[in-house]
Amino acid sequence: MGVVIALAIETATTACSIGLVDGSRREARLLASDRRHVEVLAPGIQALLADCSLRASDLERVVVDRGPGLFTGLRVGLATALALADATGAGLVGVTSLELLAHGAHGDGVRGRFVAVVDGRRGEVFTQSFELGDEVAALGAAAVERPRDVVIAWATNGVRVTFAGDGVARYASDFDAVPNGTVHPLLVPPVLAALELAGREPGPVAPLYLREADAVANFVTRDGA
Amino acid sequence: MSVVLGIETSCDETAAAVVDDAWRVRSSVVESSIDQHRDFGGVVPELAGRAHVATIVPVVRAALESAGLDVRHPAIDAVAVTAGPGLIGSLLVGLAAAKAYALSWDVPLVTVNHLEGHLFAPLLETPDLAWPVLTLLVSGGHTMLVYQRGPGDHEVIGETIDDAAGEAYDKIARWLGLGYPGGPPIDRLAGDGDPTSLRLPVSMTGDDLDFSFSGLKSAVVRAGEKRPDLVVADVAAAFQGAAVEQLTRKLRRALERYDVAGVAIAGGVAANSALRAAVAQIAKDAGIAAHVPSLAMCTDNAAMIAAAGLARFGRGHVSPLDVSADPNWALADVRP
Ligand SMILES: [Zn+2]
Repeated sequence: MGVVIALAIETATTACSIGLVDGSRREARLLASDRRHVEVLAPGIQALLADCSLRASDLERVVVDRGPGLFTGLRVGLATALALADATGAGLVGVTSLELLAHGAHGDGVRGRFVAVVDGRRGEVFTQSFELGDEVAALGAAAVERPRDVVIAWATNGVRVTFAGDGVARYASDFDAVPNGTVHPLLVPPVLAALELAGREPGPVAPLYLREADAVANFVTRDGA
Repeated sequence: MSVVLGIETSCDETAAAVVDDAWRVRSSVVESSIDQHRDFGGVVPELAGRAHVATIVPVVRAALESAGLDVRHPAIDAVAVTAGPGLIGSLLVGLAAAKAYALSWDVPLVTVNHLEGHLFAPLLETPDLAWPVLTLLVSGGHTMLVYQRGPGDHEVIGETIDDAAGEAYDKIARWLGLGYPGGPPIDRLAGDGDPTSLRLPVSMTGDDLDFSFSGLKSAVVRAGEKRPDLVVADVAAAFQGAAVEQLTRKLRRALERYDVAGVAIAGGVAANSALRAAVAQIAKDAGIAAHVPSLAMCTDNAAMIAAAGLARFGRGHVSPLDVSADPNWALADVRP
């Protein structure tokens, strides 16, 4: 694929992880799992680069999970990746949390129908279906749904399916109840899967929110104008 | 010579600027998402956060380029960024980007208090200004009197005990159906109104240097409801008169206690024409300098953040890369 040195950033859930590939060397680090994205991300990248005897300017690609997921975490990851790519000249590659889960499960040997389920809060989950064969193929677009509706749809169509993601863990009793379903224990979009996608064509990357902004105005904190 | 890139994303403005230690603004770029918030009557935090992500990198690149700097290898000595107070989701975007730039260019990161940034605005327009200076810092979120001995050496000597002055403007404008933000339309209408049309109490007539604006809105509404024939311009004029009277009364009182070479106004409400005129008159009466910044320097911008960052950097303040944002960071808690 030609890309030798790539950094991956994953901040779509409460966890924050990064990965680095440098030729044959491949390393993934979980930096925090308690929403401290802004605190751990930059120092984590700095330490990982230093441990690999690299400078930021050596990076050829920055791969970033653009969502869907926790809005605040996503924005920290995106702002970091966008600035890092612009400042170093590295190509920027955006991947989704849902496809990372699919690629992670695929790497773990899961085959057949697979549904990635990311916790969307407020009683909803972000989902996407895949067919895992020789390759990972998306079957539909990413969507925001109620977990109960996902579970009912799969339980009634009878197709054997594997679920994974922190949305499955959040609504474990619902997903465990699908008779034709299996839960794969992958919670967080795996950053190593992001590194595998580093060879994709770089280009502009925007966050994938899948939900309109809450239009609740803040009347107190506006400081300008 | 030190050169600093400043980044500001505490509210709805995404801003970046390059300033040097002669207090010269080499570039200053501001993008606002205010048009997206108008219909909601206030800043919608999630919309502001989304706008920052979309604009932060182009804004920084534009600031670097218009200062003649290369985004890969800019000749800067530090990256200064607002770490509070402000909307947490907005602050985090600027802070994350600032850390990534500092890391990429291998330069220090300096976190800046947004309110301290406002205090540097007059200096950027009058680099040789004489100290000390009494500054009235008034915005949508804050109203305070600050005694400044020099750049970065300040003491909060008075503060609002409830609403900020700008908040009162927004509330009155909402009640009058004038839209958001409330400052500009009230200021415009007040020029055509009769300030004596409504009898409003002047709050906070005590000896201290604190302010109070929460009572003013209810007083306006009460007085206005008794007078169905009331003209909107008259209400605007009466409200603005009472608000500016309270602000300037406290500024005059502070001048009796502090021996200063000048007075300054800063913050979004410093764009208000009545306040600007009143403060200029107070300085003239006292025979001291008036620092009334240009409108662009009153509203949020990154040049003031870069300037505050330069002063902090010059005193040896550097922030670790694991620093977080503080949405409630008080100016009084800024270490000199
Ligand atoms: Zn401000």
